[in-house]
Amino acid sequence: MQRHRQVAAAPQRRASETWDAIAELVVATLDRSPHIVASDVTAAMAAASTVGRVLVAGGHLDKHALVLVADPVYLNITTVSGVSATNLDEDLGPVPGGATSTDWTIHLPTPDPVGDAVRSAVSGVPHLSANEPPGESTSKSAMSEQASVLNLDALAQRAQERK
Amino acid sequence: MSPTSTSVSTYTRTQTATYLTDVVMGAIADILSDLKIDVTVLYRDWKQDEAAIAAWIEEGSLQQVVLECHQPNGTVAPIIEFPVAYTETGKGNATFTADRAALARYRAKLERVPSGTTYGLICTFRKARTPQTGWGPTTRASTDGLKSLKFGTLGSAPHAAVSMRYLH
Repeated sequence: MQRHRQVAAAPQRRASETWDAIAELVVATLDRSPHIVASDVTAAMAAASTVGRVLVAGGHLDKHALVLVADPVYLNITTVSGVSATNLDEDLGPVPGGATSTDWTIHLPTPDPVGDAVRSAVSGVPHLSANEPPGESTSKSAMSEQASVLNLDALAQRAQERK
Repeated sequence: MSPTSTSVSTYTRTQTATYLTDVVMGAIADILSDLKIDVTVLYRDWKQDEAAIAAWIEEGSLQQVVLECHQPNGTVAPIIEFPVAYTETGKGNATFTADRAALARYRAKLERVPSGTTYGLICTFRKARTPQTGWGPTTRASTDGLKSLKFGTLGSAPHAAVSMRYLH
């Protein structure tokens, strides 16, 4: 179930506040599942917060999505900065599908020059990954070649949802 | 004469401070990562430093943020300055811009530093400031003998802009 959520960053929120909003979105989505303990999700997002703030402040999450894979949920989260953030129509409500999720992984992007820091931060932390998320191999290949960062399938799905 | 209408967005000093703080903190994190300098303390103190810099920009007291790289042999270089220029009256309909692409290209030209180099963050002020947690008096390293290169404007917002200067 492809979804894409955009979170307003600066000037609406500081980097740390933006990360907190992202964490709340992930926790709220997975909290609907009886198989997932919310405190585990909170702990994982807290462990990632140090690099998460850096990804936000550097504008990296504007281009490189954080991906929550929790079948049937496949959620791309990006940030929006600048003037666009001031009039963004945010939807930070729980993403549908989380109620039936059992396993989950949060994939953090590893853009230069902070990729090593991200890999170090997630190393050994349950449910965090610095690897490419599974699936969507066609669009992922395109992303690599074009240095694009948005999941095009997710955007297409979002457009379909709005129709 | 046909009727016309205009739409002018107005932004607050808080938004300017929030935006420019992100630009500066993000640039510092990227530069230190590029130079392979340990960022553990930067990450640990992020919320505290972010809050301080934002408060000082919002009140207009911050003159510049200075990033000093302390090499194991005692040399302090490079030094990277982020001066803040204020628009006293504000530009209510100005926009928020950050030249991160240019910064990425610029970072590639930075001279490497030896392993074991550490860093220090220093703020200087143009007028009285509000005390902030974790920040106390210190002195800057000398910049005598260092060459200065101007990057230009790194980010701008309705009430202020921040530029960057590289001393090496």
